[in-house]
Amino acid sequence: MRRPRQLAEAEWSLRAPDIHGDAVPMRDRSGEVVDFCIVGSGAGGGTLGAKLAEAGFSVVILEAGPHWDPTRDFVSDEAGSSRLYWTEERISAGDDPIELGANNSGRGVGGSTVHYSMVAMRAHPDDFRRRTLEGNVPGAELRDWPLSYRDLEPYYEEVEEDLQVAGPTRYPWGPRRRRYPQREHDLNACAKQLVYGCERLGIPVAPAPIATLSAPHGDRPPCVYRGFCNYGCTTNAKSSVLVTYIPRAIRAGAEVRANATAIQVEHDAEGRVTAVVYLRAGQHGVQRQRARNVVVAGYAVETPRLLLHSASSLFPHGLANSSGWVGRCFMVHSGDQVFAHFKDRINQSKAPPPGGAITEHFNRSMPGSGFICGYTIEVVGPHPADFARRLTLSRRLWGAALRKEMLEYNYWSGLGIVGEVLPQRHNRIELADESDGNGVPIARVVFSYHENEKRLIQHAIGEMTRILQAAGGEASWAAGRTAHLLGGCRMGAEPGDSVVDADGRAHDVRNLWVCDGSLFPTSLAVNPSLTIQAIASRMAARIRTLAERREIQV
Amino acid sequence: MSEEFRPRYPGYDVLDRWNSPDWDDPTREVVRRRLEGIPAPRFFTPAELATLEAAVERILPQPDRGPEARVPIVPWIDAKLAEDFRDGFRYEGMPAQRELWRSALVGLDQTAQALYGRQFTAIEDEDRDEVLRQLEQGHPPGEIWASLGSGRFFRDTLCATVVRIYYAHPTAWSETGYSGPSSPRGHIRKWIGGVDPWEPHERPTRWKTE
Repeated sequence: MRRPRQLAEAEWSLRAPDIHGDAVPMRDRSGEVVDFCIVGSGAGGGTLGAKLAEAGFSVVILEAGPHWDPTRDFVSDEAGSSRLYWTEERISAGDDPIELGANNSGRGVGGSTVHYSMVAMRAHPDDFRRRTLEGNVPGAELRDWPLSYRDLEPYYEEVEEDLQVAGPTRYPWGPRRRRYPQREHDLNACAKQLVYGCERLGIPVAPAPIATLSAPHGDRPPCVYRGFCNYGCTTNAKSSVLVTYIPRAIRAGAEVRANATAIQVEHDAEGRVTAVVYLRAGQHGVQRQRARNVVVAGYAVETPRLLLHSASSLFPHGLANSSGWVGRCFMVHSGDQVFAHFKDRINQSKAPPPGGAITEHFNRSMPGSGFICGYTIEVVGPHPADFARRLTLSRRLWGAALRKEMLEYNYWSGLGIVGEVLPQRHNRIELADESDGNGVPIARVVFSYHENEKRLIQHAIGEMTRILQAAGGEASWAAGRTAHLLGGCRMGAEPGDSVVDADGRAHDVRNLWVCDGSLFPTSLAVNPSLTIQAIASRMAARIRTLAERREIQV
Repeated sequence: MSEEFRPRYPGYDVLDRWNSPDWDDPTREVVRRRLEGIPAPRFFTPAELATLEAAVERILPQPDRGPEARVPIVPWIDAKLAEDFRDGFRYEGMPAQRELWRSALVGLDQTAQALYGRQFTAIEDEDRDEVLRQLEQGHPPGEIWASLGSGRFFRDTLCATVVRIYYAHPTAWSETGYSGPSSPRGHIRKWIGGVDPWEPHERPTRWKTE
């Protein structure tokens, strides 16, 4: 592994965009057999890639989308930002088919962290022990995680430091913890309404921990509160993977190969993976990146899709799928929102509205509520097109009624939840009968809510309405919605009951790894990015240990 | 009818801030293309365009505006289909977008024929609304709709696409009092009731806006 570093200048022959509009040299590793080829450059792949490269491993990250230059590619415009999403076709099925292709997807270096809401929450100790705590819930496949909170705690801390998370001096929920690296952000109007409503009702509430700078850090300035966080940050205050781990990965000698769409993972006769097959804009025909280890980090739809599409005579049901769990127990978060009209001007899209303030008061099983698990309440602030979409989809407004209601745009304030969704076996990712332009079958995404979630959502809508009314809001209405994609390659101790182990290493194929939200055995009721990044950091540490013990081949 | 859309922010035009520190070059370029680069139809036939135009005018009516001031919507739907730019998913049972729109336009005429004996473009506004309401409710007359979810098309495709295009236009931003682009300056007065000097005010202020 630690080969002597004799890097001729010529080997750094590629150029990658840096974050200030210039370019930096990048190593060309296309001809090598690298230690790790990582598919995907988001919260999982980007974070892991940087840490592995810094540990001295040779790394190539393949990314289907472009390598963004924040100074040229990001705009203050909703419609102009649709390139940040994964817009290729997928089939959405089930009793409660979900919307895909916008907020819950990402394409381009940094993945969905380029447009995520930056809410940097840790999961709680109980979240990792759902099966132990709740027992067998009919219809659900609850499992304890093979990791505990204590296993992840040092890595949560490491990522919070890397991202310079800005949070309150004292965060009221969860185990005792160190202070956040940066001070909390000022609250915007929507966040203040959440605070006022909660305070009047005696519900604990706090500024949210946000992965956006509130003070300068390195070569990045603090946030100026543009409010376009969900459309790409032009000032680099937002700690996306694009501006944090990717530059680190490139500096440490990784190659980040953009516009490279992986279509298959190849293996040898012994069943060890050997290369990732991909197509690249501007290059003719099928390309191959050879590697001693492959990490699939394409998020909870594309990761199972790639494994299923890598089926062979040796792995007839898909790579790493002897258990039959690849693509199974796919989950989302219920992301239902409630809006209320206020007499005072709100300007809901101003400032970093996602996050802002938060209450985890309902993030627990509440005896007598009629459901298990819980939800976090956060602040939302859609821009006009997104808000109008909610009016037409949820309130069924169109015609003159819609245009008139939109005249009140600046006076609505909204809340939304991150609600835990139980793993169910029939919620799944599978290959459809239809293929994309590359000849790869598209994903069929099947999702239906469990009865537990329907009750959870009703409870949450009730509480959000109560909070907004306590703050002085009127005429409230709810918008159904989901967020985040999780599960489908769950981790577990039992090879017959899961796809990968606690290190993200496939039970069936020992030099194949998974590193993204698809690992989650249960969904948690917090935004998942920090947990994905903590798992990636832990994986990097575990890989170093395993390499030192010569238990993996590098 | 135009009285009901009386602007809440009289005199506010988000484009007045084109040269302000709120509009950076990449944003100006994107919005310039939206204002000046209205695409000529490539996908729909003239007859289809007329039907679509008639339906879109009921989803997002602009009776208060002359031809020059109207926000163009149909050309962008046509362009989306000509380029086949997808949304990232479709609901199971619904055809791919090109076929969906084509079939649905046939369906509009079938429903209009069944209810009023004439094509969709040949009936009155109120009757067009009734046709659309029947689509929305899910069981409109018309052969096409037996195998095509009319409610899904109406809500998730027609309405969702139209509002996304309309509210992407600076004219709609000005109408709603949305402060619009904000890079690199950002915002300072983000508290309840807080309005930065360069944002739209509903009454005169003592600040000179940029």
